[in-house]
Amino acid sequence: MTEAVFREFPDQSRTHSVPLSHVSLEMGHLYAEDFAHEAARLRAHFAEAGPWVDAVAVSAARATGGRRPRVSTCFLVDDYFAPFSSPADVVPALIGEAERAGLRIDYLVRESGLAEADGFPLARSVAGRLVESPPPGSNGVRPAAAETGWLANGRRSPASGPHADPSAPSGWHPPHETAARRHSVFLDAELWDGQGAGRTFSCAFLAAVWQLLRLGLLRHHGLPVLRPHPWDGSLPGTWEELPVVLQLNPKAAPFAAYRTCSLLPSGYLPVEHAVQVILEQIQVEAEALHQVAERSAAEGVHLPDSVAERASYIFYPGP
Amino acid sequence: MVLLGGEVRTRLLPTARPLRAAETARLLELRPDEPVHVSARPNAHALSPPRPVGVDCALPTPDGTRVRAVGTVLSQASVTGGRVVQAHARTGATAAGPDGRRPWGHYLTRPGVVEPLGKLPEGAVARGFLAGGGPGELDLGLIAQRLLTEVLRHPLPDRQEPLPTPRTRLRWVALWAADAEAPRLERFTIEGDELRTARLRLPYDAPPDAVAAFCADLALHDWLLTTLIAVLEEHPPGAPPEAGSGRVLRWVVDQLLHLWMPGVRLDERLAPLWHALERTPGFTCQWQALAQHVRDRTPRPVRCRWTNESEAGEACGRRAGYPK
Repeated sequence: MTEAVFREFPDQSRTHSVPLSHVSLEMGHLYAEDFAHEAARLRAHFAEAGPWVDAVAVSAARATGGRRPRVSTCFLVDDYFAPFSSPADVVPALIGEAERAGLRIDYLVRESGLAEADGFPLARSVAGRLVESPPPGSNGVRPAAAETGWLANGRRSPASGPHADPSAPSGWHPPHETAARRHSVFLDAELWDGQGAGRTFSCAFLAAVWQLLRLGLLRHHGLPVLRPHPWDGSLPGTWEELPVVLQLNPKAAPFAAYRTCSLLPSGYLPVEHAVQVILEQIQVEAEALHQVAERSAAEGVHLPDSVAERASYIFYPGP
Repeated sequence: MVLLGGEVRTRLLPTARPLRAAETARLLELRPDEPVHVSARPNAHALSPPRPVGVDCALPTPDGTRVRAVGTVLSQASVTGGRVVQAHARTGATAAGPDGRRPWGHYLTRPGVVEPLGKLPEGAVARGFLAGGGPGELDLGLIAQRLLTEVLRHPLPDRQEPLPTPRTRLRWVALWAADAEAPRLERFTIEGDELRTARLRLPYDAPPDAVAAFCADLALHDWLLTTLIAVLEEHPPGAPPEAGSGRVLRWVVDQLLHLWMPGVRLDERLAPLWHALERTPGFTCQWQALAQHVRDRTPRPVRCRWTNESEAGEACGRRAGYPK
């Protein structure tokens, strides 16, 4: 076919690429209660983290065939659920305690930016990409997670589900995990509560957005979202004034990566199970996925097709 | 894929005036991170990004053949001329699939494709798509209707039905065939007041998106023609002035006649499909005759050097028994 002579908005559908490391290592989450214990909790966390950070680098080198892997480290601060203190107080303590343990935080990220930043509703746009895994018998007309705010990994028990089938016989029926291996591990995750502007996203949903951001798979109209902002050394009095992704280390490897690894206390296990269930049901933009596949193949790095399988975890004992 | 099936639902936007481009774009923002394709030439047209819907159910078959399929249906909405809204649901089926369901991620990377468990009974499923889904079977019409309802739930300026107009459904199926050199519209049937069916045969290089776009275009023009026929039936020549025929015909001239542009966004490879319709039943031929008829009967503003526009309009209204 000959190329069209006339075009309107030819650049509308172009997808831009992002630089990629081999691994994006999350060295921790910081919540208000962690900081309430001041430096002691941070110190204990980084002491716990140290050996694992080394292990991740060694493991990443296996995948690159001995070449020095590009590993970037990041740290997430919760300013969404319970904003606390200020960057001027928290950031120097964070950097100091990490350095004390011989670690370096390359990127500092604010959790509220995963919900909305610079007027762009990131979490809402990821919610728009949910394509639910249909339990057998689904013909596409059941209420979608986008309406209910709940996402499951299978068929809900009709006796307890929020959308119980009125034609089902009374009495209890077990839920069923669609991809169960003989026995089910059924999970139903709350993605948000509240409506419209009053919607609050759940920790699990924001953590799924966080994984997609670190995997370099989020775009808005083809453009990468939340690009790292180089740090000029200044620290504002409020979190809102701080860029969402702040690059603390000017020599850091790229923020986004082929794979992610998150170093978390084992208390996060249920949340991260929900994150896996969410990631398995998000249809990532095809071109963004294709770019990552092409680049990793060119470097000889094997990547699973499943986005959820690109996220790995190290759970150390802790709440 | 060996066959594609779809259903398009078409209706008038329930607004007093046509929507502006920016309003249309907001209406069709199904995915905040993907742009609505808004086009101003050769007419105003906006197309939402496609949204996949997961399904795992029996494919429709009229003869009771049971075939379970897993995958996604693409649903997509469009607005033409700020006036006519369409919701489309479509999917393509592969000739065969594994005996068991694969991990969901496999289907997510193939939007708009369903894979049967086992072998696809191609003929039965093709007939099933045209007959519509039975209980528990894949029902593309319901998915399209769900999207239409969702789109119309958005706040609209001056929500009102300007005119009672038809709501049409076009069910279509397209089969790829080794012997097909050019795309062919095998059959287009007016099944009733609302339902139409179309059966196409395609060469292997026919892109599914373009085929779906042709079917939406066919549904749009069939709706325009159906609407014009209905209006003229409701307002025949010699209708009493209180029937408001002058006002209705004026509305049709102002709001609908310019929307007739069959095939303007069509992939060139599919051009033969429209040619067939132009020969029989002669879509454009009928449209032009009816449109001319409407124009001839529509009261025109009186051109008078001494009156301003609004007076001209009133004069015109009075002359034609324009209801106040």
